[in-house]
Amino acid sequence: MIVVQFLLIAAFVFLFFVAIRSRTAHGVSASKKLFFMAFIAVLVVAVLAPNLVTEVANLVGVGRGTDLVLYLLAVAFGFYVVNDYLRGQDSRQQLHRLARRIAVLEALERYRLDHRDETRPATDPQAEQSQQAQQAQRADDRDA
Amino acid sequence: MNDVAFVVPVYNEASVIADVIADIHTVTPHVVCVNDGSRDGSAQAIVQAGGYLVDHPINMGQGAALQTGIEFARALPQIQRFVTFDADGQHLVADAVRMLDLLEEGDLDIVLGSRFLGETVGASGAKKVLLKAAVKFSNVTSGIRLTDAHNGLRAFNRHVAETMEITAPDMTHASEIIELIAANSYRYREVPVTIHYTDYSTSKGQASVNAINIAVDTLLRRVTRQ
Ligand SMILES: Nc1nc2c(ncn2[C@@H]2O[C@H](COP(=O)(O)OP(=O)(O)OP(=O)(O)O)[C@@H](O)[C@H]2O)c(=O)[nH]1
Ligand SMILES: [Mg+2]
Repeated sequence: MIVVQFLLIAAFVFLFFVAIRSRTAHGVSASKKLFFMAFIAVLVVAVLAPNLVTEVANLVGVGRGTDLVLYLLAVAFGFYVVNDYLRGQDSRQQLHRLARRIAVLEALERYRLDHRDETRPATDPQAEQSQQAQQAQRADDRDA
Repeated sequence: MNDVAFVVPVYNEASVIADVIADIHTVTPHVVCVNDGSRDGSAQAIVQAGGYLVDHPINMGQGAALQTGIEFARALPQIQRFVTFDADGQHLVADAVRMLDLLEEGDLDIVLGSRFLGETVGASGAKKVLLKAAVKFSNVTSGIRLTDAHNGLRAFNRHVAETMEITAPDMTHASEIIELIAANSYRYREVPVTIHYTDYSTSKGQASVNAINIAVDTLLRRVTRQ
């Protein structure tokens, strides 16, 4: 029992530090980090005090603590899968935009067509505006 | 018709693409072939036949290839009308010309080919049933009534070429285009066209199970877009 608790907690702590210290962690939103910390904390408590989990389970009308943990894991996994799918779609779309740009630019060059004749791909005007604002800002910075 | 560009998505069609390009050259010099990471000699065949070669560095799917081809074609001088045309020899240039003539009258933004108003040569019975089911599905999900939802032959004007942004990379793009017609209120019309199912195109064409993919993606797009 003690051995298992020790191993599990060691694993959680390790996971926690790997996640927090990873180079890309600063790109993750603060709320996700907080959620992850809470998640790890709950896991540690659940390992140390299984009875507590059973009590909580009874409170919400579930018979056993293990069942409650199973349900929660199922929900968490569902969220993970959907989140992962959407992220995959996003990054695929970014990759495709990039590859398309390369293909078009390369072809324009091959056929000696003027890049300026090309109408820019349709983007939403808001993004365009903020882009222009950023460029203006950069120009100001340079001037200053 | 110097103001017309044909956009042809090409994926491993080395053996037929030259003939298709030659056919199109009888009506316009502008044939934009988007080679989508083919593993055969498609790229050389395109260059030799005198099409514009636009080369995807990786395979991205037919929808992605169409979007790329349209963006390149917009940069060609004086192009006012665009045609999407399959590389596997299933479409007739004469059909495209009729569609372009309709566009020129100016009351339409986009003309869509339909094999169910027209003739479908050589398709199996099961394929026809499946394609008709796909049409029902598309009519329900897009709110636009058509007789053929997955026909690669389309003609459209510059307004459509500049505003339609296809994001569905694979075969789902056909449904997406119909949704975009609804969303952007393009003036559209369907005309009968002939599709030739040769042994070559049937062996290369879509496996019918892919319909499930398209249906699921279409529903997912409905859910995630709004
Ligand atoms: N760019 C690109 N084009 C593709 C890809 N797969 C197919 N195509 C092209 O899309 C066109 C039509 O492909 P098909 O597989 O015959 O699809 P279809 O005509 O809708 O289906 P069938 O009715 O079964 O013939 C052809 O010009 C193919 O070369 C792909 O992954 N990328
Ligand atoms: Mg085909």
